[in-house]
Amino acid sequence: MSLALPAFLCLASGFLLVCLGWSRRGLIVSDYLLRTSLSVGLGLGIFSVVFFLSLLLRVTHLILVDGAVFALLFVACFLLRARATAANAVPQIKENPDQPAWLDRFLTAAFAITLCAALYAAVMRTLAYPHGDGWDAFSIWNLHARFLFRGGANWRDGFTPLLPWSHPDYPLLLPAAVAHFWSYLGHDSPAVPAVIGFLFTFCAVGLLFAALSILRGRMPALLGATALCATPSFIEQGTAQYADVPLSFFLLASIALLCLHDDREQAGYSNNDRTNDDCKHNAPSLCSPGLLVLSGLAAACAAWTKNEGLLFLCAIVLARLIILIRREVSPKNWIARVLHIAPLLVAIVPALLFIAFFKHSIAPPGDILSGHNTMLHKLLDPARYWAIIKWYFKGFFRFGRWLLIPGTLVLTGFYFAAGKQEHAKPQNGIRTSVLALALTLAGYFAVYLITPYDIYWHLRFSLTRLLLQLWPSAIFLFFLSVKCGNACGEHSRVADLP
Amino acid sequence: MSLPRIGQPRMTIASVAFALCCLLSTARLAIDAPTPSSLKTSNREIARRSDQRFSALKAALPERGVVGYIGEPGTPALADYYLTQYALAPLVIDHSSNHALVVGNFPASPALSAPLDDLHLVKDFGDGVLLFAPEDAK
Repeated sequence: MSLALPAFLCLASGFLLVCLGWSRRGLIVSDYLLRTSLSVGLGLGIFSVVFFLSLLLRVTHLILVDGAVFALLFVACFLLRARATAANAVPQIKENPDQPAWLDRFLTAAFAITLCAALYAAVMRTLAYPHGDGWDAFSIWNLHARFLFRGGANWRDGFTPLLPWSHPDYPLLLPAAVAHFWSYLGHDSPAVPAVIGFLFTFCAVGLLFAALSILRGRMPALLGATALCATPSFIEQGTAQYADVPLSFFLLASIALLCLHDDREQAGYSNNDRTNDDCKHNAPSLCSPGLLVLSGLAAACAAWTKNEGLLFLCAIVLARLIILIRREVSPKNWIARVLHIAPLLVAIVPALLFIAFFKHSIAPPGDILSGHNTMLHKLLDPARYWAIIKWYFKGFFRFGRWLLIPGTLVLTGFYFAAGKQEHAKPQNGIRTSVLALALTLAGYFAVYLITPYDIYWHLRFSLTRLLLQLWPSAIFLFFLSVKCGNACGEHSRVADLP
Repeated sequence: MSLPRIGQPRMTIASVAFALCCLLSTARLAIDAPTPSSLKTSNREIARRSDQRFSALKAALPERGVVGYIGEPGTPALADYYLTQYALAPLVIDHSSNHALVVGNFPASPALSAPLDDLHLVKDFGDGVLLFAPEDAK
């Protein structure tokens, strides 16, 4: 029972934050599934930041701080409730009437079987490995959580350069969220990180299903969620208490919210008192900035989860800028376009300052840039490029641990069989997201080039996990782009709630 | 009545094939999942090697600060070092014997209690867990 209150405060704060950014009402279940999935991730993000700030400011009464955050969000939601007018109803995708009914039943059954198998595997793995499965769980993430929880006033002891193997420069979303719950419990129960890992895994599935369902309809949502549940290493990593699956959740959340925003913009759905024409022809981000702010928050949470998230955060901002200002000749229009990413930056800039403070004032320098005197030599070594390309190629087929046929090949086969979505042109959100993922992959490549470790050792122990971080987002973007069952993503508006 | 669209059967076949590939992979998930009979041994492994093993030593050490560490050689023994740190946090365990107190961790050779590297044994906690201090601190 002692966990019921913090669990409620965490989820409710997350839910209120999501409602602040997305004030639409709708009838479809996917809308609620999306909100709930996002609430878990963002709620844990809030809990993490609150705990870390409480340590910094030496606040001991956590319940008061949590209550104040909840009350603040509640009041803000109440005041902004008027925004949820009938004009903000969630549009529903028209399903393809030519699609045979048995196919829908078959795909639903396949998804149900895969989900049940994934749940069974996750529960059994959580019970079998309550302290996590693998060294990183107890040597990095849960160790940091113990330092934060047990350290009291001396919590900074855990971020000493004497323990370089524990990567004290890694961000603290997971450790601080875990320590927050432990503070309520009064002891460091291994059940807390286990449940958090479990939640992130299945909220990523829920988020993928919901976002695809809203944007493309039921069939792509079923196929996408089935593919993610059927990826053995995704379920294994999710319950291993590593940070890769939580990171993959936040990358997917950021990309899905960005695509939802741009989809509304392209479809002419706006909020507040703007007309559809306003939305189509005026500054895009002014139409529904809440979704962009939430997208930025998710990217910020990714950066607070792992250093790779920081890379993604820079990549998505850069990608958005490139997509918005491309083909613009006039510098005057550049400025107007750049201003469109302001809502995204509202969440990102404070998060960057927060992470910069952690990196500068608390954490010792990271290991990746430690070999700076040999960096140029490594950058000029063609053998290193060739080694990484070979491992990327192998990783493309191997990661995910699919049985017999790699998941990437299954997607490729489906693409050639189904073809490309019949869009007039791909929306900016998809282009931005694809470019952001490509830039992130390029960033990983650069890190391998300059790594101070043996390159083969580093590739062997990390590449499949890095690819797994991008996997849910890749599935999401794949089913946004491929032709798949629905009537080309056409929207029909559901009846507005009174 | 709407006419069937060109490519609809192809889409149907592709969707069915896709779902079947996913179901095939699902088999690996189910097969590789730990069985209920294996839970009893696997779920205590980390706790046994860390918290339980070091509970007596923890009570004898200061709550904060830095202590040294010596253990068995080789990469596999690194896990023992990490688990020692995991058990004794927030005490920092430095992999060095240049400290006023040095934790000895020899799970593979528990009988080892001979002086090592100018250290003398302060206390043997059993199960390969030892506490040393420098000879000059006698």
